[in-house]
Amino acid sequence: MGYDDAHSHASAAARDAKKKRGKSSAKLKQCKLDARREQWLSQVKDGKETKAAASPAGGGSNAGSPILASPHPPLPRRRVDTRSRGGAPEEAGATVQEVGSSDLDSPMHSPGSDNSRGGGCTQRNRCSSNGGGPSLSSVSSLWSSSRSVSDAEDDDTGSGPEEENGVLDDWEAVADALSVDDNSHRHQCSGAIVVPAATSDSTPSANAAKRKDPICSNTRAWTPDDMFRPQSLPSISKQASFPANIGNCWVGMGAAQQSVLSLPLSCPICYEDLDPTDSSFLPCPCGFHLCLFCHKRILEADERCPGCRKQYNAVPAGGVKAPAVGIGREMANGVPLRLSRSCSMGPRY
Amino acid sequence: MQASRARLFKEYKEVQREKSADPDIQLICDDSNIFKWTALIKGPSETPFEGGVFQLAFSIPEQYPLLPPQVRFMTKIFHPNVHFKTGEICLDILKNAWSPAWTLQSVCRAIIALMAHPEADSPLNCDSGNLLRSGDIRGYQSMARMYTRLAAMPKKD
Repeated sequence: MGYDDAHSHASAAARDAKKKRGKSSAKLKQCKLDARREQWLSQVKDGKETKAAASPAGGGSNAGSPILASPHPPLPRRRVDTRSRGGAPEEAGATVQEVGSSDLDSPMHSPGSDNSRGGGCTQRNRCSSNGGGPSLSSVSSLWSSSRSVSDAEDDDTGSGPEEENGVLDDWEAVADALSVDDNSHRHQCSGAIVVPAATSDSTPSANAAKRKDPICSNTRAWTPDDMFRPQSLPSISKQASFPANIGNCWVGMGAAQQSVLSLPLSCPICYEDLDPTDSSFLPCPCGFHLCLFCHKRILEADERCPGCRKQYNAVPAGGVKAPAVGIGREMANGVPLRLSRSCSMGPRY
Repeated sequence: MQASRARLFKEYKEVQREKSADPDIQLICDDSNIFKWTALIKGPSETPFEGGVFQLAFSIPEQYPLLPPQVRFMTKIFHPNVHFKTGEICLDILKNAWSPAWTLQSVCRAIIALMAHPEADSPLNCDSGNLLRSGDIRGYQSMARMYTRLAAMPKKD
């Protein structure tokens, strides 16, 4: 208490002192904010202009443009540049496909290309242009064309999407590298079978590709129409690193009715990690989890569940959730958990 | 006091991490005081506020998140639930319907939703509320659009 008082006095004094400095700095801050706002606004405007500029020019390939404009709001001005440079916007799979098909006769339509999915990053485009598998000479020409596209991209996007997809890129690169081995083995077997059968086929360029660089084709971790390709790899890896209190025996006690996956790992109120006691603590039948500490603070304040906003006390001790509610009550009264624990242990003996 | 600070730090980290998650919201914490935040929100599309960027000032009580943050518009806005002079916002979740599970980010989202769906029956801006209540949608929209142009868009050079 005494410490708090002293502390608050000190902070009040500090605040007074700050106020004098504060006025000038507040002005400065407002200036900064205004600048930021103007910048943002102009970006919004530019974005619109980009859309407008793109719509008459692009024609068929335009399906990608709204998607282009939306996910990466920054740097729209440069985007205008790329467009005027000859309709090669970044990461529009459709457009890359177009470039390819104008350069060479539809190598990109070979089964390997999954550009229509619009993977998005440069590395993917390169991969798939390789994977598209035209003959080696045409690879180089396609390479140069797609190279220029990706150069523009690099200039363009700077740190934006690259940064976001960084993890994903690396991951996929590794996966690709791993799968090269397998595929090359398989291709040495299957290639021999495929080639003679395919000579009668109507798409010689695609077959030529298969014959000449079997390792290049199909070196991707995911097949074109693979539905199982993880969309958001970073989050999956994050989930894998979650604390392992899911298999914990405590879950079985209080929150067994709750599906295990829906258990939050941190208290939604204070954002601290939930320990096993907390995660088995269900004070309200709406199933809203929170830590005991926050629950106590809420009981001292307005006593309403943050999830459903009903009064905690008005919650009836309903059949299924009775033990959990019991815990809540006991905690509120400062009674230790022993009773409920012995209840749940009881049946085992 | 400590709990609110800890939570705000966590929210700050969250905002930094998911900077691009919501392109319509920019949350900026004051450099020296974590209880003061500023938000820039884009006016929702297909409303008179489209194309404008509105500045919100957050003042967060020490009992946060048990008590709601105080939010007001720093940018002038013509909206039935926003006081025209002070920028005060009449929104239930900022008053009695507040839940500690809300975050500053979700408050911003709620305010964007309020901009798109004005509640004319509890007006802070009576002129705006009366226009809506008398069914003069065009009048309301043109007024709101005018103030959006005047206050929330960059000046034409």
